[in-house]
Amino acid sequence: MEGTRKILRWIDALSEWTGKAVSFGILGLAFVIGYEVVMRYGLDDPTIWVHEFSVMLFGTAMIISGAYTLRYNGHIAMDIAYGRLSERTRAILDVVTCFALTLPFLVVLIWFGGERAWKSLIRLEHDSTQWAPPIYPFRLMLPIGAFLFLLQSLAKLVRDFIIIFGGKSEAGR
Amino acid sequence: MDIGTITALLFLALIIGLLSGAPLVMVLGGTTVLFTYLLLGPQALMMIAANTYGVMHNFIIASIPLFVLMGSVLERSGIAVELYDTMYKFLGSVRGGLAVGTVIICMIFSAMCGISGAATVTMGLIALPSMMERGYRKEVAIGCISGGGALGILIPPSVPMILYGLFAGESIGALFASGVFPGMLLGGLFIAYILVRCYLQPDMAPALPVEARPTWREKAGSLKGVIAPIILIAAVLGSIFGGIATPSEAAAVGAIGAFACAAIAGKLNWSIIKESCYSTLKLSSMIVWIIMGGTAFTALYTSVGAVDFIKEVMGTIPVSPYVVLLAMQCAVFVLGMLMDPGGIIMICTPVFVPVIKHLGFDPVWFGLLFIVNMEMAYLTPPFGFNLFYMKSIVPADVSMGDVIRSTVPYVVLQAVCLIICILFPELALWLPRMLLGG
Repeated sequence: MEGTRKILRWIDALSEWTGKAVSFGILGLAFVIGYEVVMRYGLDDPTIWVHEFSVMLFGTAMIISGAYTLRYNGHIAMDIAYGRLSERTRAILDVVTCFALTLPFLVVLIWFGGERAWKSLIRLEHDSTQWAPPIYPFRLMLPIGAFLFLLQSLAKLVRDFIIIFGGKSEAGR
Repeated sequence: MDIGTITALLFLALIIGLLSGAPLVMVLGGTTVLFTYLLLGPQALMMIAANTYGVMHNFIIASIPLFVLMGSVLERSGIAVELYDTMYKFLGSVRGGLAVGTVIICMIFSAMCGISGAATVTMGLIALPSMMERGYRKEVAIGCISGGGALGILIPPSVPMILYGLFAGESIGALFASGVFPGMLLGGLFIAYILVRCYLQPDMAPALPVEARPTWREKAGSLKGVIAPIILIAAVLGSIFGGIATPSEAAAVGAIGAFACAAIAGKLNWSIIKESCYSTLKLSSMIVWIIMGGTAFTALYTSVGAVDFIKEVMGTIPVSPYVVLLAMQCAVFVLGMLMDPGGIIMICTPVFVPVIKHLGFDPVWFGLLFIVNMEMAYLTPPFGFNLFYMKSIVPADVSMGDVIRSTVPYVVLQAVCLIICILFPELALWLPRMLLGG
């Protein structure tokens, strides 16, 4: 039990720190696009790199933070019927939906995203634009982000099992 | 299997998923995986990952976290306190004046950020205690904040409008422009209602006693709090409507401007920057993941032949186009009681918009009606966001029932606004045509 709890805390911490790290990407996004606005409209000297760089910042921040948002229960759900159930019944439902919906979706993203990222990585693929940045690190973000999300979902799954078979005290965060 | 059966099964699966309390993103994503596998085979699952890359690579969607960041910084910047001070000094001497001022601040906030929560929470913390202290009855004080806060999605910029634009393939700028006059109309209806009600029932919301009223010098001095927000609104909306900047560029400028406002107010410090980033990330990651699930769902539904199916069905229904339009609005209203606006837009747009185009209606106008309808979703139980926001802020002796009762007149006014927009499409469509042509 102690070992399990340690792993759960470790997954929470991983989601926490990856999420907090990429959150500053949004700050970067604002200032990078702001820089482009000044260069283009102010100095009439548009950059060739801002557009691609900003979508990379955006995509990375959004995909990596799925786990962080899950950790804080931030993915909205419709709780009209669900909210009235007992904690144990909710945990059972969560286990069912985790296997039926969450795991298939994330596994598909990891598998097929990973395939695409791998093809990109072995060719050290660059974007086919004027700036031509390496694109493979960005391609890797999808399987990584989905994997982090998967880890946090599995942590939730374990907690649900603890609620179902033990008591809520054991599941404490 | 024919497309009619597939449609029925697909939406049945969505409904069961939603009722089971799973996160919306997983309901959309998981259902898509299951049906893609069954209908199109395992290799077609690649499409889901490809669509997700598409969302991660979309410069328009990148405006969503920026608009959220803008609101999140402004919420912490102290601007609301200064605006409230201005309203207090100018309107406090009128019966119900503080409630009117609250609606006006909500409108200003709506023009600064794309989501509804920022204004509701901020005004709940600032205006509510002040109004209660001045002897305002709770139905006036709570109602004006919940109602005014919902204006956030109608007055541009608006994240739900961006979502609609993405899924309907319409110009975000045109949608933003279509919300300006209906937003002002709805705000005006709220204000008129408050003034009339408080005039007829003076004990609802007493005016400030004569000796507590500020001098003209004090009033003029308080105006400086209005300057920064007005410059910010002019910069963000002006650059979009002027066709100068894309929504993402305007949002970036707005977010930087919000930091500047906080700095001018002396509120900019590391912990505000950090907190704004974290809360922005949580909210926008939630929205963008739902877009990923929604995009996958829409792609599947389209590739099994949805558009032809919808057209075929519409061809066989022997009713007037307006009956179909009203039926859709009713469906959206009912969904609004149960779900959040973002999810409703993502589920309904791919089904409704082909029908609307087929019937010859303007999709921008329909989007606007959709958004006005979603205003009500924020206030209708059992699942109204602003009801929950308000309940978390009000004093303990105010029950959820009190909160819901206080919003009833505002929901009625929103319905009136919806009907006006249906009867007079020009209210929504004149400005986009003037600004963007076509």
